[in-house]
Amino acid sequence: MLALIYFIILAVIAVGAACCVFLSKHPLYGGLSLVLTMLSLAGIYGLLGSPFIGVVQIMVYAGAIMMLLVFVISVLNAAKDNRTPMFDGTSIFVLIGVLGLAGLIGFALVLTPLGFDATTLRGSVEMTSSNLFDTAQTGPGYFVLFEVLGLLLLSSMGAAVLMAKKRLGSDASVEAASEEAIAEEKEEK
Amino acid sequence: MELQPIFIQMLALLLFAIGLATALARRNVFFVLMGIELALNAVNLSFVGFAKTLPAAESVAGQIVPLFSIAVAAAEACVGLALVILIFRNRESVDSDNYSNMKG
Repeated sequence: MLALIYFIILAVIAVGAACCVFLSKHPLYGGLSLVLTMLSLAGIYGLLGSPFIGVVQIMVYAGAIMMLLVFVISVLNAAKDNRTPMFDGTSIFVLIGVLGLAGLIGFALVLTPLGFDATTLRGSVEMTSSNLFDTAQTGPGYFVLFEVLGLLLLSSMGAAVLMAKKRLGSDASVEAASEEAIAEEKEEK
Repeated sequence: MELQPIFIQMLALLLFAIGLATALARRNVFFVLMGIELALNAVNLSFVGFAKTLPAAESVAGQIVPLFSIAVAAAEACVGLALVILIFRNRESVDSDNYSNMKG
């Protein structure tokens, strides 16, 4: 009973903050509402018995990703073109399509028999680490996926630095290259 | 009345619908990114909610996969924000309708 009350409180906060994201005018307010959604979702993870995912949600989502997003919004000063309308003519069709999709999936979910299993494992740090780093031959092999994710994060960081760098392959580097070429020609002479 | 798994799935569905609507209907490109993040969050919640309906051996996967999903979301946000910075520097606009270089 108490779990249901906590769940309802957290769910109302999550859905309300998500509606704030959908309806807010300034992206900074939207980002802060999204942080509130993520914090209440972390509470729901703890309520369900997966505290490790909840902590990772707070650290990575609310702490890193949303901090980056809010920082970029502040740096780019995107508030200065506030004449852009929030929605346009096609938005109403998008809303109808999304509502239809949600209705269909909800109908299918209601018809599905679901129940909590009493023997389900608690998502603690011990359970997560012993499964994630199980390098046995017969194990689930999540550690390979873990290494691949490290490579993915490294390559995305490199791609982001290359893309957001100012004047890549333009004046500065071309001039430097031509200066080097001129210096080499002088040395040859 | 106790907490039922269907409530969690309904919350995840609602959040996913709001995130999808935000990503598709809003014109500001920051809201498009935020809508994608919201939809990814809802999928993680659905994973954990379904994992709790399974017996011990099968309930592990549903609690490990969201960690990978969160890491992929971090990579996606990193590249997406770099793209937004790049386009904003060229166009001086956050309206995604102005980004129609190919008249699409």
